Amino acid sequence: MIRFENVSKVYARGARPALDDVSVDVSRGEFVFLVGASGSGKSTFLRLVLREERPTGGTVYVAGRDLSRLSSWKVPSLRRSIGVVFQDFRLLPGKTVYENVAFALQVIGKPRHTIRTTVPEVLEMVGLDGKEKRLPHELSGGEQQRVAIARAFVNRPQILLADEPTGNLDPTTSLGIMRLLDRINRTGTTVVMATHDDEIVNEMRKRVVELSTGSVVRDEVDAVYGERESILPQVGQTPVLDAPGRGARAVQRVQVSPEPADLEAERAAEAAAARAAAQERTITEPQPTAAPVVPVVPVVPVVPAVPEQAAASPDEVVQQVLREHERVRAGREA
Amino acid sequence: MRLQFVLTEVLQGLRRNLSMVISVVLVTFVSLTFVGAAALLQTQVTKLKGDWYDLVEVSVFLCPDGSTAPTCADGAASEEQIAGLEKVIDTELSDVVATTYFESKADAFEAFTQLYPDGYQGTQLTEDDMQASFRLKLVDPEKYQVVDDVLEGRAGVEVVEDQREVFEPLFLALGRASLLAAGLAGVMLLAAVLLITTTIRLSAVSRRRETGIMRLVGASNLFVQLPFMLEGAIAALVGALLAVGGLWLAVQYLVTDWLQDSVDWVAYVDVGDVLLIAPLLIGIAVLLAVVSSVVTLNRYTRV
Repeated sequence: MIRFENVSKVYARGARPALDDVSVDVSRGEFVFLVGASGSGKSTFLRLVLREERPTGGTVYVAGRDLSRLSSWKVPSLRRSIGVVFQDFRLLPGKTVYENVAFALQVIGKPRHTIRTTVPEVLEMVGLDGKEKRLPHELSGGEQQRVAIARAFVNRPQILLADEPTGNLDPTTSLGIMRLLDRINRTGTTVVMATHDDEIVNEMRKRVVELSTGSVVRDEVDAVYGERESILPQVGQTPVLDAPGRGARAVQRVQVSPEPADLEAERAAEAAAARAAAQERTITEPQPTAAPVVPVVPVVPVVPAVPEQAAASPDEVVQQVLREHERVRAGREA
Repeated sequence: MRLQFVLTEVLQGLRRNLSMVISVVLVTFVSLTFVGAAALLQTQVTKLKGDWYDLVEVSVFLCPDGSTAPTCADGAASEEQIAGLEKVIDTELSDVVATTYFESKADAFEAFTQLYPDGYQGTQLTEDDMQASFRLKLVDPEKYQVVDDVLEGRAGVEVVEDQREVFEPLFLALGRASLLAAGLAGVMLLAAVLLITTTIRLSAVSRRRETGIMRLVGASNLFVQLPFMLEGAIAALVGALLAVGGLWLAVQYLVTDWLQDSVDWVAYVDVGDVLLIAPLLIGIAVLLAVVSSVVTLNRYTRV
């Protein structure tokens, strides 16, 4: 789906290359984490895929297209097959949730009836059903990122690029976003996510490509974030930054209780996914099988053809999380 | 869908940049009024020329008694010389001259007494004070020089006069006025181009977020840029329409209703002429807007 062949990128003449002879192959439907310190070339990698930049050397192939031979008037059609999510959400502040998502379809000239059916669908999928009329500043960070993901995914792109999508979010909200990205990945969409969040990388257990000063230093399937010392050498080993179970962990991490709205959105998204799965199962497979593995939160048992019950399960999970937070807070206060 | 969306965007842009849009409208209005005024002055000159040149003649004044001109050394033009000149006019100038009329001293005196029955400025003149002349009406009044070349310097001809010269100062003044208007128009048009460029740039910068997202989700270049182009074009178009309206009012009230009433023997420009130059003004406005937006947008909203 995305293939880099000996790609180099030098921004200013004589400067250190942002990417140096990078060869990576991401196949269709894969989920890849792009890790590395700030300035290691993660963002350049994503910009090259979007053809916001052209490589100084080497070739980039995206969705079967050789980007160095792609004429500039075909760039829009390339970008229609790629969705992008950013750390800072980049929503339009004057437009409602619905309008923000619809905007992505309007500007590529989709007919009105298509917009009217697809936007509510994708909003339901990300768990923002019923919040269509809210403005971005009326939403929590997690919800805003869900809107951004909905906008990126509404045109059903083959590829979803995420540039530190959880960078502005607390850990619990981040997990909800990750579940959403994972669900999108399960629809067959290739996901490439640049991140610093070691906890997420370690728990997801996906392919990890590590960049360091513009070169690929690690490319492992089913991998973890890696040695913090090697990725962020200047920070060294600190108990707060290190992944759970890695290195010294003498101090309890700071606990933040998530926004109720985020939990609600997560519940709604979960329910929508369960409904969709149940529906699919009744159509294609009459025999009930185990639910798809959801990595972050315990497996959701899907009861076929009874969506309400399926929806109840993640609800319990969320309640559990909330209770846990209450307990921790009470402990702290006591 | 597309059209409605683009129009909404355009309206929003116009509202957001209202003060800049108004200034673009005013500058195009003023500059195009000057362009229109120059064009109307030219039209006026052409009209006057067409009207008056049909009336004017070339006068070939023959030698009177006591003329100091070198061709008049032999005294007053003789019958022979007059006959010879008539022949030259009939043969050599047959292509140029439409009608020939010989005004003898007697005819001239008659015409004179009709104009000034009480004598000219208190002096009673006699027939001998008059000067015989050929009055030539030319096929094309502009061909005066040919007549002059042939007749000037011949024995018996004192001077060849083109009556058009009488109008020259007026036409010169009108011509200079229209040049002045055109010059001012040029300066104002430059200001208009710069202002439209700035307005579009401001608009593009203030909507960077939107255009950034448009580019990311794969909107085509035209789709991203069209609202900005339309914004500039609409502002310029409104300016052009105001200019046409202003010129219409000026011609209606200053020329048709006022000048026409006081000096009625002159053919004036009318509102019909304003309508004729209206497409020119609107064309200039649209051209300005398109050129400045293409230049600006290529720099600020490229994919």
